[in-house]
Amino acid sequence: MRPADLTPLARDVMKMPASGGLVFFSLAIAYLVQVLPWSGNWLLVRPDFVLLVLIFWALHEPRSIGQGMAFALGLLMDVSDSMLLGQHAFAYVIATYGVQIFRVRILTFGFAEQTLHVLGVTVVACAVMLMLNLLLGADFPGFAYFVSPVATALLWGPVNWLLYLPAVRRSRGGSA
Amino acid sequence: MMIREPPAFFHRGPSPLARVTFFTLAAIAIMIADHRFHALETVRLSLSVLAHPVQQLAAMPGEAVGRVADYFTSQNRLLRENQELKVKVLEQSAAAQESKLLKSEEEHLLAMTSSQSRYAEKGIIAEVLYTARNPFTRKIVVDKGLTHSIQAGMPVIDGTGVVGQVTSVGTFTSEVTLVTEKDQAVPVMVVRNGLRAIAVGSGKDGSIDIPFMPVSADVQNGDVFVTSGIDGTYPPGLVVAEVTTVQKDAARVFAKISAKPAAGVDYHRYVMMLPLSAATAPPPEAKADDTPRKSAKDRARARRQQ
Repeated sequence: MRPADLTPLARDVMKMPASGGLVFFSLAIAYLVQVLPWSGNWLLVRPDFVLLVLIFWALHEPRSIGQGMAFALGLLMDVSDSMLLGQHAFAYVIATYGVQIFRVRILTFGFAEQTLHVLGVTVVACAVMLMLNLLLGADFPGFAYFVSPVATALLWGPVNWLLYLPAVRRSRGGSA
Repeated sequence: MMIREPPAFFHRGPSPLARVTFFTLAAIAIMIADHRFHALETVRLSLSVLAHPVQQLAAMPGEAVGRVADYFTSQNRLLRENQELKVKVLEQSAAAQESKLLKSEEEHLLAMTSSQSRYAEKGIIAEVLYTARNPFTRKIVVDKGLTHSIQAGMPVIDGTGVVGQVTSVGTFTSEVTLVTEKDQAVPVMVVRNGLRAIAVGSGKDGSIDIPFMPVSADVQNGDVFVTSGIDGTYPPGLVVAEVTTVQKDAARVFAKISAKPAAGVDYHRYVMMLPLSAATAPPPEAKADDTPRKSAKDRARARRQQ
């Protein structure tokens, strides 16, 4: 029998630090998917891939990926989504802060419960951006706007699986 | 019970709360600087240069699909399209010949008054890359930027009317704010009677509002609004919109007029960007300058006296 986990973090597959290359590569892929030419209704429901990967790394690599990275990525997203500079940065920083506060708690749970936590974080991030845009005088884009954070949270499982793969392979290679 | 932070054995930097305070304040400062003072165009420009290769990569699948679709377009459809275009050419050739005559007359008249032509000689054709990925605004991104000497403020038209105005210029791309964008204003006039108005985007696709028109104003369904040119940005005479509904309620001061944009604001592939300088009306002082050339000092003095 496996000994009981003394700390929830001990279950984390990624006990080894992920390489900087993997972090960069995953963020680059997320950005690439994010800037595909989405338009119309697809744009409203587009999951925020960059935020999702950012949340993942803020959970698993809290020492290297944090609010500074969130801020920089946010500015990049603002430019590529042709929004007022600082909106995504604001939302991403708030989201990363939430993840940092609840980090140990989130890692305690399995994927299903984690998804709920991620849903909370993405909804907050979206609400922040919606609020900023309403303050700036934009019209309410409709409740379909909140499909996007739900879609983002639903992708938490698959993205986790994808991003765990290199770590799992490495740990298997190490034990064999 | 409160969970206390572990003792700081290692240097960990500022606490998350301190960081989040710092970064949110920074974000707010950036938003204010960008919104109020438009001070961060260089930051935007350099970030867009960084992001450009990735964006190009992201545009590839769509382009490939488009090309394959083009290749498999049936001959029938092409023939039909060709036929329609031929008819269109015939329809427009009469108008074009008439306009040639008008143009020569205009040149003749302008030669006598020695001022500039108000029409742009030629614009820059650009291809629409994608709709801006932003549910809050109505913008398109086109494939011409600083390297093609695009400037912010240039009017953008397509084959049927005004599309919008360039609002942000990147190195290789630029953003065009559509006329349907909320609060995007175009000075217009009714073709039928020359009544001046301002067309303001409603923030909804395919609809433009004409606010502040008195109930007694002579505007009817089907009236066509063209640019009046008094703003010095849009050259006069470009078709902007056609009136779809006029609600005249005697209880209100203003009539409620909505119009449909003439350009295929949401679905065109190529647009034309008109140069700014040619479209700008000559400033009032220019007329006084016709005779001998005044020095800059004299002109400044004259302005002060006014």
